Amino acid sequence: MDAILVDVTKCIGCEKCVTACIEKNHLNLEKSYFDRETSRDGLSADRLLSIKKIEEGRYARYSCMNCLDPACVSACIVGGITKTKEGPVIYDPDKCIGCRYCMLACPFHIPRYEWNQTKPFMKKCNMCYDRIIENKLPACVEACPQKAIIFGDRIKLLKQARSLINNNRGKYLNHIWGQKEYGGTCVLFISDVDITKLGWPNKPTVPIPEHTQPLIKETPVIGLTVGGVLIGLNWLVKRKNELAAENNKAKNLTKKEKAKSNVQ
Amino acid sequence: MFNKARTLKDILWFFVFFGLVAIIFRLWFGLGATTNLSDSVPWGLWKILNMVAGVALSTCGFTIGFLVYVLKIEKFKLLVKPAILVAFLGYGSSCFALLLDIGLPYRFWHPLIMWNEHSFLFEVFWCVMLYFSVTFVEMLPNILEKYRFRRTVHFLHKIAIGVVILGITLSTLHHSSLGSLFLITPYRLFKLWYSSYLPIYFFTSAAGCGIMFIILIKILYAKLYNPVPLFGEQNNGKTSIFPLNKNVGRIHIREYGKEMPVLSSLSIIGASLLGIYLLLKIFDLFRLNLWSTLFAGTWESWLYIIELLLTAVLPIILVINERSRRSPYGLGTAAFSASFGLALNRLDVGILGYFRDAGTVYFPSLAEWSVSIGVIAAAGLVFLFAAENFSIFDEQWKVYKISKGIFKASFDSISRVWQTALQSGLHRATIIGVFAIPIAFVLMYPQYKIENEANVVPASGFNTTRSILIINSTKPGMSTIFPHLKHQNMLGKDTSCILCHHMSMPNDKSTPCSRCHRKMFHKTLIFNHEMHKVWVAQKRKITGFHPENKTCTICHKSGLPKNLNSAVGCLECHSKDMNIADTLNLPKQFLYADSYFDVMHKKCIGCHKERKAQVKKPNLDQCSNCHKNYYRENKIDKFLTLSR
Repeated sequence: MDAILVDVTKCIGCEKCVTACIEKNHLNLEKSYFDRETSRDGLSADRLLSIKKIEEGRYARYSCMNCLDPACVSACIVGGITKTKEGPVIYDPDKCIGCRYCMLACPFHIPRYEWNQTKPFMKKCNMCYDRIIENKLPACVEACPQKAIIFGDRIKLLKQARSLINNNRGKYLNHIWGQKEYGGTCVLFISDVDITKLGWPNKPTVPIPEHTQPLIKETPVIGLTVGGVLIGLNWLVKRKNELAAENNKAKNLTKKEKAKSNVQ
Repeated sequence: MFNKARTLKDILWFFVFFGLVAIIFRLWFGLGATTNLSDSVPWGLWKILNMVAGVALSTCGFTIGFLVYVLKIEKFKLLVKPAILVAFLGYGSSCFALLLDIGLPYRFWHPLIMWNEHSFLFEVFWCVMLYFSVTFVEMLPNILEKYRFRRTVHFLHKIAIGVVILGITLSTLHHSSLGSLFLITPYRLFKLWYSSYLPIYFFTSAAGCGIMFIILIKILYAKLYNPVPLFGEQNNGKTSIFPLNKNVGRIHIREYGKEMPVLSSLSIIGASLLGIYLLLKIFDLFRLNLWSTLFAGTWESWLYIIELLLTAVLPIILVINERSRRSPYGLGTAAFSASFGLALNRLDVGILGYFRDAGTVYFPSLAEWSVSIGVIAAAGLVFLFAAENFSIFDEQWKVYKISKGIFKASFDSISRVWQTALQSGLHRATIIGVFAIPIAFVLMYPQYKIENEANVVPASGFNTTRSILIINSTKPGMSTIFPHLKHQNMLGKDTSCILCHHMSMPNDKSTPCSRCHRKMFHKTLIFNHEMHKVWVAQKRKITGFHPENKTCTICHKSGLPKNLNSAVGCLECHSKDMNIADTLNLPKQFLYADSYFDVMHKKCIGCHKERKAQVKKPNLDQCSNCHKNYYRENKIDKFLTLSR
């Protein structure tokens, strides 16, 4: 599985990756300038990748993390978002109905919507899936002048990141963001400053779909149980009413007999 | 009584017309132009109020069905028909609003074919769709029995119990699933509302409030058309709010109509369901240990308390109290409070609980309100139509109608609909439409039209010398008059082009206005200190020898070191000049720009380093390449000067 490793110490915030992304995805450059200022993390339907300033002189890339167990994939009503075996989480605009549940589900607030279109679709980074298939680097990785973004196999990248941290003691914080968070992501970060400001959780957490999957598996069981209980209840009440009616009849009969005997 | 119904209908028609205009705008201009939804708050009023809350209030269809058909409690039978009607209309209007809410309405059928069984939304879609069909099947006999479809009606009555059981099963599933929808946002929803019990909350509160809602509907119907069964025979034709017959020492409860005890006993069932809901909520507060958050005094905590009081506490108190339970007014208050509280709860879980995480606040636009209320109003009109023309509430409705002279209501039987509609109903509706549609059109016409990329035009000269330009400013389609010459002079004549036309970004044609005209509390070399001294002296009319030397204390407070931190912020003087930044309402983190030094050094040098091999200029990345004049001519201004 492929992944991207971001070295925060190397990034100078030149935003060449952003421009490359905009060119590759044929997005509106002028609108993206405006969105850089107005949206809170610099992302919009015309800006699928942004550089966030963590503190003075420290920048980090912000885009779809391509989680290993993505919330959006489990949320999509039509199964329009899929996790590929190459790593990227890709979106199929032909299936999308525009319910925007993926936007609600994503813990990183990544999916963006083309609000200014009459036929809007969701937009997010897909790690240049079409380029990966052709054995090319993603556009942003290719554009980076500082080699701050590295593309490669996720396991190898993790090893590389670990060795970087171990060999340069004191230069990096001893943590690889994206290794365990939300079940692991395909965009990994190593840094000398805490990047939790970027929207990462403080502690490694379970994948988001873990919150829903156990319950949704039970759904048919719940449905059948409720149906069965209802049929059972219905039968019981029916039987009870029948018995009551028979009793009443019997009582009435005995009453009548008694009345008759009394008359006699 | 008749007039009340008529006024209500007029109001409903007004809202329907408003909604119609909003629907046309939404379809024509798109979702983004007509709603206030954004990437931060993707789910708005239509989904939460109309769908989640609307469906939750229509639960009476299955709860009454359960009581009557499964448990065979005969006394509730008079509520079956209204309950089914409310369920049918509730689900119908919800689905309609949802259709407008999704981005591509013409693809609403996609989930039928494209399955993702891991999604709760998928489950909700299927259950709601199936249950809507079930309510339709349940509705059919009520309509058909007016005409001669005896066989069909007979068949439908035969399969009734099966249909009801199917309906209850589906309802149980989708009402809990509506709560489970929000389980996927554990870090986004405010922690007071997020709980793993959300499905149970949603189910119990919907079941309880659904029962209260049908009581409310029944009371409203009685108030509008036929008060006798509920309010009893009235003395003097008037009803006071607390009509009590006081005897000495003891208060006797007034005798209300004969259907009132049925509603009272039903309200006990509803209140006990709400009691379970309340107990669960309190248990959950202990389980998650949220008491400190509950009494933190934030707006969320107050909202939570108010919502819980309205949904559960107030209705339960009113139902427990026998005097209020036996009176239609007390019960009506309880039912209204429960229904309102439920809607508030759904809005909290679906919209308001996300504000803290989103960092922004969402208030629905006028078009959103119009569609929401318009759809509900349309459902109300259909409801009144059905109530007047089919024996939904009253078996002897027709007899009653003739005797009271309500026969000329704005709706009548299908056969006479044109005749009567032209006479009264449609006539009035048309008049309302004539007023409502233009008002709605004027009020809701989208503020900005969507401009395509093609409409972003390059700057054009305003006068012949091109010293003033018309440029497309930050928002496409909104042009600004840009005094080019003035900017040039202000920023330093010939050396200034670079400030805007090659600032930080590659492929940059020119810099957006907001790049400079923001709240400049931060060091940027857009600020020209030398020029400011002269300008300030001119503006303040300071005279004497070298007036600019007397201006220091205007910006730098005397007694403090004269540096950037002690200086007055740009906005103090330039508040008028910066109105662009003010109207943008930028979030705080964007008010600070990188300083010019940072931008130039970190962003230019990277490119220059890379390009030097391509263009074969080995000294492209050296300092002197840009700071040429400083080193050569020993100029005072060491900063970037024109380098060719």
